[in-house]
Amino acid sequence: MNVTVEQLAKGVLLVVEGQVDMHTSPELRGRLREALERKSSPIVVDLTKVAFIDSSGLATLIEGLQAVGKFGGKLRLCGLAPAVRNLFKLSNLISIFDIRETREDATK
Amino acid sequence: MARPVDFVFDATLASDPRFLLFVRALAGEGASAAGFSDDERARIELAVVEGFTNVIRHAYHDRHDQPIALRLRAPEGLFSLEIEDRARFADPTKFASRPLDQIRPGGLGVHLMKTTMDVVDYRKNEFGGTTLTLTKRRPGGPS
Repeated sequence: MNVTVEQLAKGVLLVVEGQVDMHTSPELRGRLREALERKSSPIVVDLTKVAFIDSSGLATLIEGLQAVGKFGGKLRLCGLAPAVRNLFKLSNLISIFDIRETREDATK
Repeated sequence: MARPVDFVFDATLASDPRFLLFVRALAGEGASAAGFSDDERARIELAVVEGFTNVIRHAYHDRHDQPIALRLRAPEGLFSLEIEDRARFADPTKFASRPLDQIRPGGLGVHLMKTTMDVVDYRKNEFGGTTLTLTKRRPGGPS
């Protein structure tokens, strides 16, 4: 898995690529933590190139969502593949996250 | 689409999270060979990764050098994955999935396995550990 960080005029973009699981989610957690420490908002996580995410990855995103809420920031997800979107539905999280179709929409 | 095939596959891996990519690929290829759609394949991949992860995390307490046997079986009508550890038997009655209306990290793995597979079974094995069997009916098989 690889996470590319791009500073936006407002907020930060994390582009995730690969499989997010128990082995790789600590790297995503680290990138999220860096953005949270800077109180970046919105934090946009682009999952377009993520074909698979498991409950470890979901837990990482939930942690990010809860942490960003503590300083009144926003966390947005975009580019969910059908299997990834289905995981959010199975976990009853689809309405908890701010999920946008495209990166352009998420970074507005 | 290729004609579904019946098969048996056995492997033993270390309890290392780096193998999750391989485990997912193996289960996914097996699911496709057994005739499952891409959507069902993704669900099976999720179940096996959750099962393997639970063994590393909860049975072996994040030790990465312990054996995990993985067995795929696709006899006529069924598809099953066995994940066998040699830790202490995990009593399934003590597994607590968190209520889905509680939004907090963790506690989703068992729920996801039960949601994506037809049968999730835990049994004590000959090594004193746990054998988790994930089973799904194959498309077009007997109901």
